[in-house]
Amino acid sequence: MDAETVDGFRAGDPAAVRAVVRAYGGLVFAVAVRVLGDRSLAEDAAQQAFVQAWKAASHFDPSRELGPWLATIARRAAIDLQRREATRARLARAEEPTVVVQSVPESAERAYDVWAVREAVDGLPAEEREVVRLQHLEGLTQVEVAERLGIPLGTVKSRAHRAHARLAGRLGHLRDTGG
Amino acid sequence: MTDEDRIAHLQGEPAHDLDEADVAALDDLRDLLRDPAVWAAPPGDLEDRVVAAIAAEANARPSAAPPAHRRTRRRAWVAAAVAAAAVVLVAVLAAGVLSGGGAGGRTRLQVALAAVGPAGPSGSGTLTRTDAGWRIELTLSDLPRLDNGAYYQAWLKNDAGLLVPVGTFNQGGRVTLWAGVSPVDFPTVTVTVEAADGNQASSGQRVLAGTVKPPS
Repeated sequence: MDAETVDGFRAGDPAAVRAVVRAYGGLVFAVAVRVLGDRSLAEDAAQQAFVQAWKAASHFDPSRELGPWLATIARRAAIDLQRREATRARLARAEEPTVVVQSVPESAERAYDVWAVREAVDGLPAEEREVVRLQHLEGLTQVEVAERLGIPLGTVKSRAHRAHARLAGRLGHLRDTGG
Repeated sequence: MTDEDRIAHLQGEPAHDLDEADVAALDDLRDLLRDPAVWAAPPGDLEDRVVAAIAAEANARPSAAPPAHRRTRRRAWVAAAVAAAAVVLVAVLAAGVLSGGGAGGRTRLQVALAAVGPAGPSGSGTLTRTDAGWRIELTLSDLPRLDNGAYYQAWLKNDAGLLVPVGTFNQGGRVTLWAGVSPVDFPTVTVTVEAADGNQASSGQRVLAGTVKPPS
């Protein structure tokens, strides 16, 4: 992200805001979905995350990468939303507000890993990304992937190998920290 | 342990020379690849929602805007003006009514504008064909004032995307505009936020939009 766009984002310039959302919307949304597990709430959290980022933009060091900074804000926005929803639900049930332990949800701890994997997946060529998606998200075998995509099994194997090699390389830091 | 072993294990294939820690880490990565969050596509209107929300925040609390030099501050203010307006609106141009009656047999289309967001402008209006052209009378509420070189501009657009400007104004209330083309042929009505910067093209910052039904 170039400095001019970041500067425009700080100023609330709509074109710059759009550029930032276009570049990081998927990543922010992935973190929100991971924390909240609910697409509708995640949409609100993603929107909130960008607004909060804009509010805090004057504190952002432009020499650093925007992505990790946004990831932190997205995670916090999602957790805040989750807690508000929990409070609302509790009040709706008219329960007595006993002692509330404000702990970080387990899913939030994984938010950074989701961010990293999402970023790595987004960096794959589209045809490789689709093979990986079908293999892992939909649980298809390589034979089934070949049938689904209408391409030779050998092509699926080569795409899958290249894709997983890229992922293994880009996500080495997750291995180093044990995920 | 080789990269090929890691790649094989990541794909769920047999790998022989991986230690326990490697297996655990790669299994963790496979779990993440199965996580729907990794593959979730953001909503298509996220850009619009964020732009609108930031503009609304800036408009509501201009002092909260991040410090910036004068030009960017002005741009932020212009964006702020999109604020209440920018909350995405769907202009519902209600059933175009051809009132063949009336003085001079004038064609009249009734227009209703409604906000779909939690806040924002709304209004209603009438498009009347006269000998001089189409008079567009709108009554708009919650459209904040724009000044200092910023203003609203209304447009009519045809199906090919050709835009025809129909007038500029500074705020909501009663607004009268004139069009030299028929809203029957140019059925989409939009209102944008513009700056007096010498660029006559639309800024694309739409705050109102809708489609007129052709008269039956």
